Amino acid sequence: MADRKSEVLQGTLDLMVLKTLFAMGPLHGFGTARRIEQVSDGVLDLNEGTVYTALLRLQQQGWIRSEWGTSENNRRARFYSITKQGSKQLEREAENWERVAGVIEKVLRLERQG
Amino acid sequence: MANLRTIWVRVKGQAAQKQEDEALDEEIREHIAMLEERYVSQGLSAREAARAARLQFGNVTGLKERQRAVRGFLSPTEWWQDVRFGARMLAKRPMSNLAVVLALALGIGMNAAVFTFVNALLLRPPQGVSETNKLIEVWLHNPKSGGVQSYFPFTFPDYVYYRDHTKSLEGLMAFDGDGTQAIWNHEGTGEILHGQLVSGNLFSLLGVNAALGRTLVQEDDRLDNPRQVVMLSYPFWKQKLASDPGVVGKTVMLDGAAFTVAGVAPAGFTGLLIATSPDFWAPLTVQGRFTHDDSRMKDHSYWLIVAGKMRGAGQRQNVQAELHVLAKQAYQLHQSRNVPQGSVSGNNEELLDALAYPLTLVPGPFRGYVGAFTGGLLAVFALVLLIACTNAASLLLARATGRAREMATRSALGAGRARLVRQMLVESLMLAGIAGAAGIAVAWATSRLLIQLKPASIPLTLTIPMDWRVVLFTAVVSLATGVVFGLAPALRASAVKAAQVLKDESQTAGRKKTRMRNVLVVAQMATCVVLLAGATLCVRSLMNANAIDAGFDTHHIALATLDAGSLGYKPEKVQDFYARLLQRVESLPGVTSASYAHFLPLGTSRIQTSVGKQLGKDPNSMEVDVYQVGQGLLRTMGMPLLRGRDLTEQEANSNTPNAVMINETLAKRLWPGEDPVGKRIVLDGDGKTMSEVVGVVKDGKYHTLGEGPLSVVFRGTLPAMRTLVVRTQGDSRTLLDEVRREIPIADPLMAATDVQTIEEYMALPLFPARTVGWLLGTSGVLALVMTMIGLFGVIAYMVSQRTHEIGVRMALGARRSDVMKLVMGQGIRMTLVGLGIGLCAAIGAARLLSPLLYGIGANDPVTMSAVAVCLAAIALLACYLPARKATQVDPSIALRYE
Repeated sequence: MADRKSEVLQGTLDLMVLKTLFAMGPLHGFGTARRIEQVSDGVLDLNEGTVYTALLRLQQQGWIRSEWGTSENNRRARFYSITKQGSKQLEREAENWERVAGVIEKVLRLERQG
Repeated sequence: MANLRTIWVRVKGQAAQKQEDEALDEEIREHIAMLEERYVSQGLSAREAARAARLQFGNVTGLKERQRAVRGFLSPTEWWQDVRFGARMLAKRPMSNLAVVLALALGIGMNAAVFTFVNALLLRPPQGVSETNKLIEVWLHNPKSGGVQSYFPFTFPDYVYYRDHTKSLEGLMAFDGDGTQAIWNHEGTGEILHGQLVSGNLFSLLGVNAALGRTLVQEDDRLDNPRQVVMLSYPFWKQKLASDPGVVGKTVMLDGAAFTVAGVAPAGFTGLLIATSPDFWAPLTVQGRFTHDDSRMKDHSYWLIVAGKMRGAGQRQNVQAELHVLAKQAYQLHQSRNVPQGSVSGNNEELLDALAYPLTLVPGPFRGYVGAFTGGLLAVFALVLLIACTNAASLLLARATGRAREMATRSALGAGRARLVRQMLVESLMLAGIAGAAGIAVAWATSRLLIQLKPASIPLTLTIPMDWRVVLFTAVVSLATGVVFGLAPALRASAVKAAQVLKDESQTAGRKKTRMRNVLVVAQMATCVVLLAGATLCVRSLMNANAIDAGFDTHHIALATLDAGSLGYKPEKVQDFYARLLQRVESLPGVTSASYAHFLPLGTSRIQTSVGKQLGKDPNSMEVDVYQVGQGLLRTMGMPLLRGRDLTEQEANSNTPNAVMINETLAKRLWPGEDPVGKRIVLDGDGKTMSEVVGVVKDGKYHTLGEGPLSVVFRGTLPAMRTLVVRTQGDSRTLLDEVRREIPIADPLMAATDVQTIEEYMALPLFPARTVGWLLGTSGVLALVMTMIGLFGVIAYMVSQRTHEIGVRMALGARRSDVMKLVMGQGIRMTLVGLGIGLCAAIGAARLLSPLLYGIGANDPVTMSAVAVCLAAIALLACYLPARKATQVDPSIALRYE
């Protein structure tokens, strides 16, 4: 499995990060990357640096906020947490994603005819 | 909302840029460190762990770039980096950059110079006036006629009616559009002053306060009891009265009447009309004191420019609606009083509508014409600027090719495409910025030169300040210029495929890039043809105009305009004064003859009258120009008398036109094929007096130099205002001082206006052709030089790029002539294509010029072919120099140098 990795779809990383923060509470960038890695079970080919771009984008939209704190092994780290707006956005985005995914699934299930 | 928020966050991002950079650095460092720890704990060596961590994290530089891009495009630190880097790149090639900046500066500068005039004429509100946005101008308009002739200023009664009945305006003011000249008698001498008659409410409506004393007020301007008061202009008070602090209440003698000084206007206030700067202002109702004739206060005389102040800004629609109503009411009033309105238009029954315009220094109805003229000039110089842009773009394209490796390297190191485009744009904008600053200087100098072209005989003072509008215009033009010439090279340069360029050792120019430059050169060549053809046509027409036979001598004549009536003299005294003056002038050394005339051909003012062959109502009567002349005027002006005789002195001084002379054209129209001498005509359409034709005068030019034949009558009956015409054997310039000296000797209180030589007088009819000739000539020369530099640059660059190829060819046995053919061939192809396109465009564009051309067709084949041949020759030279260099390529060196 490890040698057949999938690319992260454009725009989906933001959704993943948002959901991770929603589910796990405040996390730093490293923690977010770990969590996504864990969930994806090594299927995703993720440049961990891109997580920071997603975090910045989400922050600019006002969907997450950040504050400095100390990590579990006593390092200074920036912790990101989801805002109220972010939760609403997550709801919308998740719904949207499920709809699109449903359509794609149906399309992919089409039997060859004739 | 979300967008606004994003913008705000980005703006905030600017401020915290550096802090953010550091924070991000820290996050990245920590992140990688934690990854490393994890790998180490999994049993990797420190080195392997570090490598694995970096791999997993990805491109750090790229991430930083991306973060910055997301945070804010306008990151000041990065811009500053770009600017510093750009400055280094520009300093690397000072000479070629200087050439580009110079060309752009001339292009931008000429545009800014023309815009300075647009600004002074059309955009700048009157100075020293408050709340200009509430001011409007009102013109009477005859809806049944068109052009400038359909607009009229107001009569005094009409003005009063509108003033007293308007509700939408805070007030309606009026002033004398032509201005009033008055002789100022001061310490026993006479001096001509320029005055303006204004309604009493003008100063208060404009919010103008007196610098000294008080302004004119409504009470000064009462029809039943006009006060003889004046308000002096600041410069007049300062220069002529030595800033006398006690001037208020003193008396000045104007046209023989005593006026009390009410106050001094503030410095900078020159009234509401372009290019006039009155020495004094007087109430409208005292106008009879200046003209000794109060008919202007009654109907028929359209002389008042009317302006109104709205109650609030932006209410012109409402005011206009009310004006339409007032116009109808005024018309009905005229009908009921049986007073014909619109006598000027020649139709007594016309309804004259009233139209509101925003108040600017150029009266509303004429703005369109001034705008079209200056707009045309701007278009011409925009073409020049475009040529300069093409040069700059061409140069930058060449550099972009040379910098392909640099771009590839930078993109490989993590610079995004946007960043590369920005870097290139910053460089071109810096070039444009420097050029813009230099352009302001060019504009300043040029606009001052241009104003010198104004004939000295027009008593107009035009201030052409370089205010914020001019600076803004120049800045915008420079910015646009920078983007126009910088964008294509920037996009080209940034569209590098890094791997390919870096692999490919040789730096040959891509076919695409060369093609783009070739297109630019062809476009340049075509534009150049258009400008050069226009310029040549104008210059040739100017030469024609100078050589045109005006029908009178344009040398050895001095002129001076006098108005003995202005001092209130009786007719006998007027006659006596003119007779004495003529006698004195005729006895001056070198003077061969002297005479008087009321208006001269090709002047700004003229009188028309009707001419018929029968008494009573004559349906065949026609409108002709009339010149009132003294005995000997024809001889003095050098107008040939073809048949008959001149007027006798008695005929000339008579009050009725018993004897007249007519010109050839009128003679042919009235009596084709017959001798008109001894025949009789009826003047003025009154059907009462018959005049005998005693002489026929050779045709001349009367309105403009370009006109066809016009019918003209010369008669006696000189009024009190007339022009003294003196002919000398010597230089007319030296005569001016002598004539000026003789006037106070004949009468110490008299003063003359427009004392000038006939050459100076002719500057006015030649003015439009001269100005356009000058400007187009300049644009043509600029275009030519820039195009040649462009062509030279492209060919020279091509040669330098193909040195290797040429070396190979020569090593394989190509002769010098073959190489010459190869290089020249390309240049000639571009030249021919450019010339072809250009000539087609020029023939189209020349049509626009035709009204300004004298004695030359707009599509004059000689001009067109001369331009083509001349341009082709210069283009060949521009190609020849680099081509010769190509033939001197030493194959052994060219091949080794790879």
